[in-house]
Amino acid sequence: MHVENVTLEKKFHDAVEHWRRHWLPDYDLLLENWDKYFPKDEPFCLCAKMEIGTPDVVSIGEHAGEKKRVKPDQLTEEEARHLLAIIRAQASTEFGSIQQHAGTLARAQDDEDRYWVLRVMAEELRHGYQMFHLLLSQDWSKASAGVRGEDMVEDVLSMGTGSHVLDAFNLEYDSFIDNICFAAFIDRVGKYQLTMQKVCAYKPMADSMPPMLREEAFHLAAGVIPMRRWAKRAAEGSPFISMEAMQKSVNKWFPRALEMFGDERGGESNLRFGFKDMKNREAQDLYIEEVRRMLRDINMRFLRARFPNRALDQVEVLLDRLEEDRGRHDGVAYEDLLRLPDRRFFRRKGEPAFTMVGTEGQGFDDPESYLTYLATQLADGYMASRDLAVYAGALREVASGQLSVADAMKRMPKLKRVGGTCPCSKSVRWVVDEPAPNGH
Amino acid sequence: MPDVKAQVRVRPLDELDIGSITQIDERITGIYRPEVWERRVGYYLRRDPESSQVAEVEGKVVGFMLGDVRAGEFGLESPSGWIERFGIHPDYRGRDIGRQMFDAMLRHFRSTGATTVRTLVDEGDDAVAGFLGALGFIPSPLKALEAPIPAT
Repeated sequence: MHVENVTLEKKFHDAVEHWRRHWLPDYDLLLENWDKYFPKDEPFCLCAKMEIGTPDVVSIGEHAGEKKRVKPDQLTEEEARHLLAIIRAQASTEFGSIQQHAGTLARAQDDEDRYWVLRVMAEELRHGYQMFHLLLSQDWSKASAGVRGEDMVEDVLSMGTGSHVLDAFNLEYDSFIDNICFAAFIDRVGKYQLTMQKVCAYKPMADSMPPMLREEAFHLAAGVIPMRRWAKRAAEGSPFISMEAMQKSVNKWFPRALEMFGDERGGESNLRFGFKDMKNREAQDLYIEEVRRMLRDINMRFLRARFPNRALDQVEVLLDRLEEDRGRHDGVAYEDLLRLPDRRFFRRKGEPAFTMVGTEGQGFDDPESYLTYLATQLADGYMASRDLAVYAGALREVASGQLSVADAMKRMPKLKRVGGTCPCSKSVRWVVDEPAPNGH
Repeated sequence: MPDVKAQVRVRPLDELDIGSITQIDERITGIYRPEVWERRVGYYLRRDPESSQVAEVEGKVVGFMLGDVRAGEFGLESPSGWIERFGIHPDYRGRDIGRQMFDAMLRHFRSTGATTVRTLVDEGDDAVAGFLGALGFIPSPLKALEAPIPAT
């Protein structure tokens, strides 16, 4: 395990630093308190980290057995275009998540939780920086229709919540619960994407993955550990956190997380080009099973706190019964636990897009009853958001036959910044943007 | 009873192992202490997520071994692998699971350039001392010392 640290050319490094001053104003505070919250850990480095000694040979797809590509020119035009879209989307997610976290970070009730999220934000900044290194260290003109690397960097830095590539990064957080659930659900998709991309036939991309994955391990912990602690507090009757509040955040993020894998029917190109080692549905299935395990683990924490004098085996039996018959036992109802929504619930992309399916898999016939139902499953702040208003409009048109599902998926509007990269600029407007590329 | 022929899978620790580690610890010590394991697993995942290992049998975590690579402590400038905590579910002992986790940790330690693996053991704990001895640990010239802090 050897890693080379790379710094971007000064003007690009400075651009990231400038962006950071706007969206991560507590960065200096994090560095000042690093040793207090993360004693003995390596100091944070804003740099690209490239793993040395990863495989040189393509392991999957139509180039399997060939030497990995080290320059975009060695890829076909189609491959280079596809990979460039992946890198751009990846960069967008990294910067996007920082903007989302920033909105509610200060509301954390616990300083440790706040510093954990701050560290996650700083490391996401580094991951975005890493993607910039991939964009800037090589000539992508063959794939970018003449767009220069620095223009692509400016494009990503100009994005805001509302104009990012993937839907999950265009939603504002409603409370600090979203900071935590986002880390547990959305960063987990990130882990899958990075793991799949470890095989990437483009070696600089593959070399970027191991250092990012190491940091991602902590990001997932920064989601799961606070959720476990909150489940305990909820069981003890804390007025500040409830399983219902967490469930509503789960319902918000889980559908968007599933869509980050790309359409369930897709992913073939990634495999063929040797960029990833799983198709979309296959990776999504594994993710769902992992999230199911996570929720069971948190529910176990809840029940152990609820019944502190009961033995482990007794509580396991109780949890099994609750999951099996979804009833009420010993004063605990199935609804008191965290539940994994049906994979078709509240979807707006992919195979089940704009089908009206409830968390338990129940179907709805008309959009009004479905929207009324959603209001019982999602947080009030989120229901009152522009995102829900736009979704509701598209759903009504799809249901009435005025709009095809395919057009509805493309139609979700985005907030576009048009006044340059600096957030000082207030020049934004709502536009209908192109849909996210499939497969990431 | 567990199937003694079932395959053991050793893999790096992740955040979803906290519950299983808490349970194994509870089986061994009789004490339920999730906060301890949330803190320790969080610590290892943020520092060195590839060092610590867990063992699975039929999808169930039955053992864990936690540690990391450190340098610069106690005058030891070159990196050393450290093993801090380990446990194996009582129903799964005697199946070489500890050795397999240890070998996985050694592979990782080696990849970081570490040439020594270290740990501390209670001299009165014959079972743990015997296990570590079987893995190849020998007494170190670096001796653990302690002193009570007098009350003021």
